Amino acid sequence: MLRILHGTNYDFIKYWRTAAVLTIAFILLGIGSAIFKGGFPYSIEFTGGTLMQLEFATAPEVSQLRTTLDAAGIKNAEITSFGSNREYTIRAQGAAQVAMQAAGSEKVATQIEAALRAVSAGNPFKVVRVETVGPRVGSELRRGAVIAILISFIVTLAYLAWRFEWRFGLAAVLATAHDILTTIAFIKLLHLEISLTVIAAILTVIGYSLNDTIIIFDRVRENLHKNRKMRFYDLLNRSVNETLPRSILTHATTLAATLSLLLLAGEVIRPFAWVMSFGIFTGTFSSIYVASPILMWVEEKYPRANEARGAAPRPRP
Amino acid sequence: MTNLKYRLLTIALLVLASAWALFPRKVVERVKRNGTFVFDTVQRVPLKRGLDLQGGMHLTLEVDESKGTIANKAEALDRALKVVRTRIDEFGVSEPVVQKVGNDRIIVELPGIDDPARATAVVQKSAYLQFQITDKTQAFEKNVARLDGILKEKGIVAATRADTANAAAKAAAKAALPNLFAAGDTTKAKRDSAATDSTKAGTGPFSTKVAKAPGGDPGRYMVAESDRDEIDSYLQNPDIKAALPPGKQLKWAADTVSAGGKAYRDLYVLDARAIITGEFLTDAKPNTVPGEGTIVEFQLNNEGGRRFKSETGKHVRDFMAIVLDDRVMSAPVIQGAIGTRGQITMGGSGLQAAQDLALVLRAGALPVPLKVAETRSIGASLGQDSIQKGITAGLVAIALVVLIMLVYYRFSGLMAVGGMVLYVLYTLAALAGFNATLTLPGLAGFVLGIGIAVDANVLIFERIREELDHGKSVRTSIDEGFKHAMSAIVDSNVSTALTALVLYQYGTGPVKGFAVTLLAGLAATMVACVFSVRTFYLVWLNRNRGAESVSI
Repeated sequence: MLRILHGTNYDFIKYWRTAAVLTIAFILLGIGSAIFKGGFPYSIEFTGGTLMQLEFATAPEVSQLRTTLDAAGIKNAEITSFGSNREYTIRAQGAAQVAMQAAGSEKVATQIEAALRAVSAGNPFKVVRVETVGPRVGSELRRGAVIAILISFIVTLAYLAWRFEWRFGLAAVLATAHDILTTIAFIKLLHLEISLTVIAAILTVIGYSLNDTIIIFDRVRENLHKNRKMRFYDLLNRSVNETLPRSILTHATTLAATLSLLLLAGEVIRPFAWVMSFGIFTGTFSSIYVASPILMWVEEKYPRANEARGAAPRPRP
Repeated sequence: MTNLKYRLLTIALLVLASAWALFPRKVVERVKRNGTFVFDTVQRVPLKRGLDLQGGMHLTLEVDESKGTIANKAEALDRALKVVRTRIDEFGVSEPVVQKVGNDRIIVELPGIDDPARATAVVQKSAYLQFQITDKTQAFEKNVARLDGILKEKGIVAATRADTANAAAKAAAKAALPNLFAAGDTTKAKRDSAATDSTKAGTGPFSTKVAKAPGGDPGRYMVAESDRDEIDSYLQNPDIKAALPPGKQLKWAADTVSAGGKAYRDLYVLDARAIITGEFLTDAKPNTVPGEGTIVEFQLNNEGGRRFKSETGKHVRDFMAIVLDDRVMSAPVIQGAIGTRGQITMGGSGLQAAQDLALVLRAGALPVPLKVAETRSIGASLGQDSIQKGITAGLVAIALVVLIMLVYYRFSGLMAVGGMVLYVLYTLAALAGFNATLTLPGLAGFVLGIGIAVDANVLIFERIREELDHGKSVRTSIDEGFKHAMSAIVDSNVSTALTALVLYQYGTGPVKGFAVTLLAGLAATMVACVFSVRTFYLVWLNRNRGAESVSI
């Protein structure tokens, strides 16, 4: 049989300090970028505003589009090419535009289209996508997203507390919090727009990373039962090593899926695929270098009695 | 042995049920043929595609309370829902969705719509039709000086600035107005200039910018289109509103008229009491009449007809304004008593506008004004493109995963691939069976699910390998492998399912679709990758009873 990384005995936990420095540096980089280079770009779903995707007959002059929109009173609209140089998205998220949409969210889109039609007779365009969100809906979605993340946190915490000991639950949740921070830093560094789909991707990353942590902890739970005399440090290392082939295989198949999405599924889904691809790495990293050291730290700080170790709850399949 | 039989039977039944759920059936849908969309019966796999995949528009309408609160909102919303539904039904869309959300919103989903602006207009138009007699008492002329006085007094118009502006405007108007209508007969022109002069006795904006319309139709005035916003803002002013003659209303015309290269808009002074409203209307249809352009002919019911007849009978030779949504469409003179039939002249608008107006008049007026809170519209070609790319990505993902599993696990990998085929079948069948909507993020979730689904098999296979390393027999290793991997599989799937449930609860449209495919995928994983692969192993063990090794 073909085996990779089988029967390894790497001392993973030894490098936790280096890992901690690296991940904190990455998170700080993201936060720093958010502070000094302007906050996060939110999609119109959250800010309210208008998004239009236009397909021109021939590549238009972006500067001319901008002048036209400025003249029509749509100031600071963001114009970006989408896939090809004939397709452009226009995002109008300025406070003035959003305010205008309070009376009817389609108004700005109508204005943009009329303004562009008036000047682009020689280069006709098709409106292939329009999204408009009024300010009230925007604020509701914002609240909804925050509630969704919080609830999914609480629910998974409750589940872990029920299935594992509290120390496992705590370590898993802190690892998850780490994943959220690194993912947000990644989103900022790649300048991805935070949309509902990206939020869905973040929640999926949380689920995926939690899976990974659970797989390792499941093994720790089992080894605790089998080797009562073993040092916890060694036991953790052993559990990580034993689950290593599985981790590699699963990450390979999942990465195959997310990379296919990233490269082949088109622009609309690309931010989702980026976040998921990154999530695979951060999820793996955090299971080994965040969840495990925290578990070890808790074990050292609050050592369990030797008898209690044997009484560690058996897995309930 | 019997255990194995039941297992195989269960798998066979599930496959049959899935195949049945996914069997192509005839549906009516909009398809593109020779560049235009037409309705047609097509044979198609019964998977409902979201608007982001098939193109179409999503509209969220909200009760508009910016012009006064609505007393009985819940009841009004229910009636509005009915009206919107009737209009959509007549609009001709396959499988539209019209739904109430919360206590002040209606969502409308129109698959395949390629003219979002027109659809929005049809849904949103209040279609409140009124017939009002124009004012004959010269109420506006009599009050114009007073209105201008109020504007100055309240400081809305700076007196000095207004005066200088007036002088210029007056000169300009004097120069322009008589010229405009010089083409008409001289007596009329004379009467016009007399009328304009009389209204211009004062110096406020009302005196200078609102002129008596030519032809001397009672209650009809004209304002240059460039001055319209200014005058309208004065009319909205509460002090001016209070000072307007009681029992009269001022309403703008729906269209502008151009004269001498400049656009003008009529401003009508009307008797506030409508002689009849659109509630008596039973039918309306568009028509084209030579000389008149497009019109909408309408028919009233018997009661409406009776009232209309008696009212119009009383007002012969008066002018009757046909008012739609507070805009005067036209104001013809009443030649004689009118019964149950009438018509609305559409002016320069095309036949489609007439069709849409007839449609909304038939469906009835909206009881409350609705504003658009959110729209999402996606062209059909973009949707088609998304599906194609999504399918390509899915196929490549499947090919890669199959390759990894076969290279790494050989024969066992083949069983996992068998499980994956079932996984794809079950997931799609579950989506079709529960009538779930497949969205673009849903498609992504499905592709992602393929990667995650094999995790269960990876866990099991790795476990079997470990048991084999411990020197256990093939049969025992397989049994133990499945048994020990279960806790990890259950835990990881349940925690993902919990996240998916939260997403389903709080997500909207596309994200909900993602949650649904994720959930369907998780359920399918348990059946396809655990139960079915286990069965494959049992079959294999049954055939190779003395097997000393297994390809894994």
